Amino acid sequence: MHSSDELLLSETRRQFFGRGATGLGIVALAKLMGGDARAATTAAPASVGGLPGLPHFAPKAKRGIYLHMVGAPPQMELLDYKPVMKEWFDKDLPASVRMGQRLTTMTSGQTRFPIAPSAFSFAQYGKSGAWISELLPYTAKMADDIVIVRSMHTEAINHEPAITFIQTGNMISGKPCIGAWLAYGLGSMNQDLPTFVVLNATHSHPKANVQAISAKLWSAGFLSAQYAGVSLRSGGDPVLYINNPDGVDTKVRRRMLDGLNELNQIQYEKIGDPETRVRISQYEMAFRMQASVPELTDLSKEPASTFDLYGEDARKGGTFANSCLMARRLVERGVRFVQVYHRGWDVHFSLPEVLPSQCRDVDRGCYALVQDLKSRGLLDDTLVTWGGEFGRTVYSQGKLSPTDYGRDHHPRCFSLWMAGAGVKAGTVYGETDEFSYNIVKDPVHVRDFQATMLHLFGIDHERFSFKYQGLDQKLTGVEKAFVVKPILA
Amino acid sequence: MAGLRLDTREGAMTKRKNGTPIVPGKLDESLAIARIFAEKPAMRMPPVSSHRSLTPEQKDILRRWIEQGAPWKEQWAFIAPTRPALPAVKNPGWVKNPIDNFILAKLDAAGLAPSPAADRRALIRRVSLDLTGLPPAPAEVEKFVKDRASDAYEKLVDRLLTSPHYGEHRARYWLDAARYADTQGIHVDNYREMWPYRDWVINAFNRNTPFDRFTVEQIAGDLLPNATIEQKIASGFHRCNSTTNEGGSIPDEVAAMYAKDRADTTGAVWMGLTVGCATCHDHKFDPISQKDFYAITAFYRNTTQNPMDGNIPDTPPAIVVPRPEDEKRWLELGEQRTALRQTLDRALLAPSPAFEKWMEPPEHAAVKLPARLGTPVMDLRPEAIALADDVTLGDGPNGAAKALHFSKKAFVSLPNVPEIDADKPFTIATSVYLPKEKGNFVVASQFEPEPKEKPKDDIDRRRGWIIEVGGQGPSIKLASGNDKYLSARPGPDYELKPDAWYNLVFTYDGSRDRSGLAIYVNGQMIPTYGTGEDIYPLQGSARTDVPLKLGNDKKNFFENGAIADFRILAREAAAQEAELLSMWSSVLSGDRKALQTYYLYERDSASRETVAQLRKIDLERRAIARRGATTLVMHEKADTMPVAHILRRGQYDQPGAEVQPNVPSVLPPMSAALPRNRLGLAKWLVDPANPLTARVTVNRFWQEIFGTGIVKTTEDFGSQGEPAVNPELLDWLAVEFRDRGWDTKHMFKLMVTSAAYRQSALTTPDKIQKDPDNRLISRGPRFRMDAEMVRDYALAASGLLRPGIGGPSVKPYQPDRIWETVAMEQSNTRVYQRDAGDKEYRRSLYTFWKRAAPPASMDIFNAPSRETCTVRRERTDTPLQALVTMNDTQFVEAARYLAQGALLSGRGNVDREVDFMASRLLGRTFGDKERDIVRRSYRDYLAFYDAHPSDAAKLLTVGQSKADPKLPKSQFAAMTMVANEVMNLDEVLNK
Repeated sequence: MHSSDELLLSETRRQFFGRGATGLGIVALAKLMGGDARAATTAAPASVGGLPGLPHFAPKAKRGIYLHMVGAPPQMELLDYKPVMKEWFDKDLPASVRMGQRLTTMTSGQTRFPIAPSAFSFAQYGKSGAWISELLPYTAKMADDIVIVRSMHTEAINHEPAITFIQTGNMISGKPCIGAWLAYGLGSMNQDLPTFVVLNATHSHPKANVQAISAKLWSAGFLSAQYAGVSLRSGGDPVLYINNPDGVDTKVRRRMLDGLNELNQIQYEKIGDPETRVRISQYEMAFRMQASVPELTDLSKEPASTFDLYGEDARKGGTFANSCLMARRLVERGVRFVQVYHRGWDVHFSLPEVLPSQCRDVDRGCYALVQDLKSRGLLDDTLVTWGGEFGRTVYSQGKLSPTDYGRDHHPRCFSLWMAGAGVKAGTVYGETDEFSYNIVKDPVHVRDFQATMLHLFGIDHERFSFKYQGLDQKLTGVEKAFVVKPILA
Repeated sequence: MAGLRLDTREGAMTKRKNGTPIVPGKLDESLAIARIFAEKPAMRMPPVSSHRSLTPEQKDILRRWIEQGAPWKEQWAFIAPTRPALPAVKNPGWVKNPIDNFILAKLDAAGLAPSPAADRRALIRRVSLDLTGLPPAPAEVEKFVKDRASDAYEKLVDRLLTSPHYGEHRARYWLDAARYADTQGIHVDNYREMWPYRDWVINAFNRNTPFDRFTVEQIAGDLLPNATIEQKIASGFHRCNSTTNEGGSIPDEVAAMYAKDRADTTGAVWMGLTVGCATCHDHKFDPISQKDFYAITAFYRNTTQNPMDGNIPDTPPAIVVPRPEDEKRWLELGEQRTALRQTLDRALLAPSPAFEKWMEPPEHAAVKLPARLGTPVMDLRPEAIALADDVTLGDGPNGAAKALHFSKKAFVSLPNVPEIDADKPFTIATSVYLPKEKGNFVVASQFEPEPKEKPKDDIDRRRGWIIEVGGQGPSIKLASGNDKYLSARPGPDYELKPDAWYNLVFTYDGSRDRSGLAIYVNGQMIPTYGTGEDIYPLQGSARTDVPLKLGNDKKNFFENGAIADFRILAREAAAQEAELLSMWSSVLSGDRKALQTYYLYERDSASRETVAQLRKIDLERRAIARRGATTLVMHEKADTMPVAHILRRGQYDQPGAEVQPNVPSVLPPMSAALPRNRLGLAKWLVDPANPLTARVTVNRFWQEIFGTGIVKTTEDFGSQGEPAVNPELLDWLAVEFRDRGWDTKHMFKLMVTSAAYRQSALTTPDKIQKDPDNRLISRGPRFRMDAEMVRDYALAASGLLRPGIGGPSVKPYQPDRIWETVAMEQSNTRVYQRDAGDKEYRRSLYTFWKRAAPPASMDIFNAPSRETCTVRRERTDTPLQALVTMNDTQFVEAARYLAQGALLSGRGNVDREVDFMASRLLGRTFGDKERDIVRRSYRDYLAFYDAHPSDAAKLLTVGQSKADPKLPKSQFAAMTMVANEVMNLDEVLNK
């Protein structure tokens, strides 16, 4: 066989790469020649694609990492401290609080709604004095890095519609999710990796009640499929089909692409279809991804300090800590939006047993991610969000004892936190009643949350739409949404 | 401006409080003009808050339009089409059929000339792909190239139209519209058995079922008089929607969601209207009002279907679909069974001297369980056992036999009964008292305990059986480890009232199939359904050594429940035997009615014969059902009329005014003769006066062949859709379709025999400028094939394709953990079990479609998730697609298989070998330059694999099929890479 250099520098290739302004394959070429590929990538930080006129105004956030706790964490065990509830153990939730709100059919048949106080203690942290649960010691350590919103609310009372709602602005699937909207509106900041990446982290408690997620959550809906999230997987091929088959190494693949490009070029000259040129460029992009994804997922060059921060769990593919580390590596390489899912939060029963494990799964990773971004100077323009799709009821589902209870779905209030780009760190926003049942101050609807996110990315949610089925479709839907200004720095 | 409508002539030209919006010919008097040109921003329309503005050109058009008298035309698509005259063209010699007149007239107007005719090789490849979805075999290409007859092309088209693959290919598009899939779609996303519907669609296209019948049978096949099994299967069209069984769901909300989906789908597929836009409120620009929308949903709101799908594959209403050869017998047996059952019922009521005589002692004192069942292997005598704590002896159901009464987490442990296993028939009969408290209770079990540590692979290896009962009825589960079990439980509507005794009988035939389980409540068999992993036959043994436990100490204990008459038999009881077992304590206690039943079934010779016949019939029916399949169908409530409520803001819990089923008011009304139900709706859709159905349908056909519809927005012919690029052509096609008996094949033949279609795909800079997207058809259609075609092409060209038609869906190669990553633990589509053998190589429309995780490689090529109706797929070119066709096992194996064919046929002559590939992949030989490139590639690959023999060996083992061991490995591997290279050509991936 030819030496690889000879292959790479064959006449046709130079011809090919010499053509066109995009300099196809330059990065890949640099990599294979042993050059500094990273330098080549990061040399071009400007966005590619995206809509003209966007962002509407100077953005605070250029990238986002959204940590979604699928199943809905119970707010009163974690971020919404309700000390008075201790006295209400096993007493019925007053009807005046419930106000006849609809319940899921899992508890609507219950004859009683006995209050279950949190089995876990809280303390105040940081300059803000935020009350944070003993279950989240690491989150507590970064109280001054985050804004806690305790007054989120939604309309959906079941997981599937609620997750779809908070991710896509609509309870019925088929609409693009936040990541896809951002990819569509703002474009890509790199040429070797997808714009929007999805990670599915594992949970560890065997009794955790797991909810389904599906590709529709990271789909592009009615936007072009190119804006859909690409799954970065912890087992098998990190990106589907990224690995060459056994027996085909990079040199062979490169040689195959050279032959293919030449043949396609003949076809292009014969037929003149511009799509042929597009295809050639997509194959080159695929090849670049083949080079950059292994580099992305290879943690061997991470210093020991990384694992001191994230914990040893971060070495293990698929853990939440690993996903957080991967999220940092992704945004570092110019990925616009990273969505991380962690399942198992649907604590209808055995809450005191399952919840500590769920928190252990994620707490340190969250902290490490925020600190890591901060120390790398990335936190200033990276928005990190943590939360579920709705809240949980203060009353117990099923049997109640001080150490064993469960909580049903509760759309009327829940908590989340945000950190980084443009959020007012070290604040607590919104308030619920003493039962964490109804919001008494500063409600934030899911739509408001979405509008606020877009705002941080420099986008006016009212002016960010896509015409589909005769309507100007927006992430925030047709009803009014408000940017939550008080949580912005 | 509230209430102002500018989309109707009336609204625009009627005087309002502030003036008249539009006064034809009078700019000064037109309020709209005043507002549009207003100086003050606060007065100007559109308002600043809308973030929209009119360009000076747009304003000028409006101004001139009013000056010219504001001529008004209703939305073109709502006026029934008439056959337009054929336009004159500059070059009539080019015209092959009327389509060409319309195409050429537009090209003339644009100053474009058609492209030259495609060469024969390109043409046969294109038309084969368009009519069958598969590339032509090399021999077919050569035959066509050599056929000098003037009708050679027409003969080819006719042959392709009769190919069974024609129906497969057409069905593939239709299944997107029907949102067909193999799982329920929402939450647990379990398996749904629906493939008979898919096969119905294939057959309907192959039989060229007229499109009006095709429509009526799918919208309302179940409502046709004396509906056949086929017609009922067709009605499954509207059972393809995504359904849920998520705990906590509110049935009303879910029912509203299903009706909306069905209305949306009907709108998109037949009416070309996005009716669902009006779910929440009216839109001023949209001719479909909110009331219109809910009036369409009303057609779908009279179903017997429970909104909760029960996580079962055959959510009622569903039917058994016997194999074609069984169909007649199936229907016969059903009739015989009814007749025999009636005979028995009559005998039970008739006075019988023989019975009276038998009732005289001591005859009836010697009653015995039916001999066929053998001696019970377990016959509980509550008095004879040692009672555990919290278990007491108490009254049974009829005072005769004693019962075990349970309180708290209590149970009775009894010796193991070894006779129950996956491959053994058995019957378990018992009476139970269902407590007042809600719950699901364990009655009896022989089930291995949970291991102390949860297995790492999540697999439940516990074996045994378990019987439960609760308000939702009784259920039985038989598990053999490996996460596999059979189960039977009642449908989602079933209910048992608490605080009552029930006789329960569970039977099993030892078949390892879930259809072998049956449940009887008070002597009557109830319809049961399976969940969990029971879509597969049970493997291995369900035997355990654990004691037989009555009641339970773990979850679902039998607090306040009671058990009596507990028996296990080592035979499967037939229906009448189960009936006797159910009443056995009454028989023993001398109950006259019970004894009469016993006498008839067991002693009266005529009735015994009837019982024996019934047993035979039931066995035969079960065998037929097992060979066949089930499929979901539509079924109306008999005692109510369809009706819906307007839901304010689309919210199920904010019902407003009641609306009757009706069609949108902007369209011609339903004839008074039509019933106001789905059947009426279906017949209205295909009424010749309907302006939309024919247009919308031929437009979709056009899209299939030419890549983009004449109306680009296939789903939207309303005012927000794109206007037709060639409206006369669309109308001509629509009228032709309607007036020629909705003949689908005729329409496809017209399209593919037109000169427009037969052009070369050659693109020139002039054409790119004047007709960039080929909407005018200034050249032959050329675009990237859909996901299924890309895969089928590789299979067919390489020779791997297994071309059989229909059958259950198959699971070919898929990367690991596509399903596992997203599925719920209890989902029976959590673990992707790849099929072995020929099932790997079926056409892609047979690939198992899990909605939460659609087939990965097809997903990347823009296949929809099938969660909702799709009438227009997107077509993107992405790097991820390149990775699929370069690296997916399926494609690598196909390359290797093609290489093997090339090597075997070329026998060492590289030119012959690569020509073999070209003939299969391109339908032609390589040009000199191409052959040179391919030869050089081969040379370099060969050098590499000569130097790296282990890599050659590895490449040749990709895929389940075995590489021919006689072929030299490095040549084989090198040629595999050549195939991989050529299979990724733009020319291969494009039609």
